[in-house]
Amino acid sequence: MGGRSRRAATIAATLLLVLGVWYPLAGLMDASGDELASSKLPYPHSVVRPVLENPGTLFDAAWATLSTALLGFVVGGAIGIVLSVVMAQARWIEAATLPYLLLAQMMPLIALVPLIRSIVKSDSLTRLLMAAFVTFFIVTLSALRGLKDYAPAADELFRAYDIGRLKRLRHLRFPSAMPYIFSGLKLAAPLSLVGAIVVELMNARSGLGFLMLSALTFGPAQAPMLWAAMLVTLAMGLALSRAVGIAERLLTPWQMRFRGEGGR
Amino acid sequence: MDDVPDRSGAGMVAVPVAGPAAITVDRVTKVFDGGDRSVTALEDVSFEVPRGGFVSLIGPSGCGKSTLLRLVAGLLPASGGEIAVGGIAPREARRKRQFGIVFQQPILFDWRTVAQNVGLPMELLGRSRAEIDARVTELLGLVGLADFADHRPWELSGGMQQRVSIARALTLAPPYLLMDEPFGALDMITRDRMADELLRIWSEEIDTTVLFITHSIPEAVLLSDRVVVLSARPGRVAATVEIDLPRPRSAEVRETPEFFALESELRRQLLAAEQA
Ligand SMILES: Nc1ncnc2c1ncn2[C@@H]1O[C@H](COP(=O)(O)OP(=O)(O)OP(=O)(O)O)[C@@H](O)[C@H]1O
Ligand SMILES: [Mg+2]
Repeated sequence: MGGRSRRAATIAATLLLVLGVWYPLAGLMDASGDELASSKLPYPHSVVRPVLENPGTLFDAAWATLSTALLGFVVGGAIGIVLSVVMAQARWIEAATLPYLLLAQMMPLIALVPLIRSIVKSDSLTRLLMAAFVTFFIVTLSALRGLKDYAPAADELFRAYDIGRLKRLRHLRFPSAMPYIFSGLKLAAPLSLVGAIVVELMNARSGLGFLMLSALTFGPAQAPMLWAAMLVTLAMGLALSRAVGIAERLLTPWQMRFRGEGGR
Repeated sequence: MDDVPDRSGAGMVAVPVAGPAAITVDRVTKVFDGGDRSVTALEDVSFEVPRGGFVSLIGPSGCGKSTLLRLVAGLLPASGGEIAVGGIAPREARRKRQFGIVFQQPILFDWRTVAQNVGLPMELLGRSRAEIDARVTELLGLVGLADFADHRPWELSGGMQQRVSIARALTLAPPYLLMDEPFGALDMITRDRMADELLRIWSEEIDTTVLFITHSIPEAVLLSDRVVVLSARPGRVAATVEIDLPRPRSAEVRETPEFFALESELRRQLLAAEQA
């Protein structure tokens, strides 16, 4: 079985498994006599209904979230890479900055959102910044690790030709860090969506988070919409991660796991 | 250049090692500090490589051959003694990019093709594309890898990888060639062919001085003007054997009684050094 058909089979099996658990659970809920059962855990097919009935609403919301999250992801990724390069230049720079990075990341997102919004006074900019904030931390740490993981013997080869710091960075350390950077990006991509949605859940006027919030406040009848919005979020997160994976394969085909048969 | 040894082999007379020293290693000691795990790798090592000469180092595993090569290349500081390369400190010579080094491992970059790996030193020094391409093509032909220019290192066998790193060491036509068991991963036939190629390059580039590390006695005899035998750790010079075979040394040289005599002499010295 080829890699592609195996992947398709895996996806199908996972879907079946999810549905296989979801349906009986929803059935149980329904049978429990709880009048609000369908709003707590609706059947999968009723979740599909709002998608079919209001594709525009869902699409607009998804696009509002995705576009700003994506921008934030790009900005955060770029900042993360630049910052990691700076930090990797000397041990003391790393020692001086790392604690602050960790502190910043400990800050509860929920507390950060109103603060940032009151400063930038824009919903979408706040969304973008939160997505960037979540991304940059992950990317900085993974890129930093990668920049330090190069073969000492290779460094010796560069030293043999008395090659300066910048060229060593470009031709040795950065390429060595690429797999790490990509694994950071793959992890950060879905989380940047979460960052944007957290902002939307706190009083924005568009986006999937906004849709979830209004579905919650408009009562039980809207429950399928809440679930639909969550499923769309999951799907977008997976798709983003996958897109980064494809970019990785294109940009770093030399990586061990992309090699053909018998690759060493 | 009259101080360069004559390699023409004219009249098939023995060629004496002559000329001023290009590499001088004078009472060099190297200790790797590590508290109670300190290792004395080299102790009081002295020898010379004449300009344009070919000197091999031979000795038991762990006796400090690779360390010695790093000291000469200015990649490691010596703990004691003096090293001069062309009259200047190794670090200075390295700054002037006078070394071509073949390390014990090939050290190739997976993100570069074979051709890009060979051209790396020229690229780093900002040479023109055309110049690099021409030189790389020439060198890949030389090491028998012309068909693999666009392959990736991992698609090559160990011996092929080692040949790529040999080609890379030659790109800048360096005055000093330092080679650490460059033919270690090759089969006998390829090994002999590469040895012949190396001799040819060396005799063409009349000023090239070679410091060569090997475990192979016949290889040392075939290639060298002089073989320095190191003792087991800590490495000391146990013996120096002058190889006064005429040059150019063709395949037939390997069948001569003189060659066998030098081989067994070297084998005896090496055995004595290992047991010391
Ligand atoms: N960076 C280092 N730190 C500590 N000890 C080292 C280091 N490099 C080499 N040594 C020690 O120095 C000694 C000589 O090592 P070296 O690599 O020079 O040996 P060698 O003669 O090249 O051996 P081989 O023939 O197996 O390649 C060894 O005992 C080794 O443990
Ligand atoms: Mg060695």
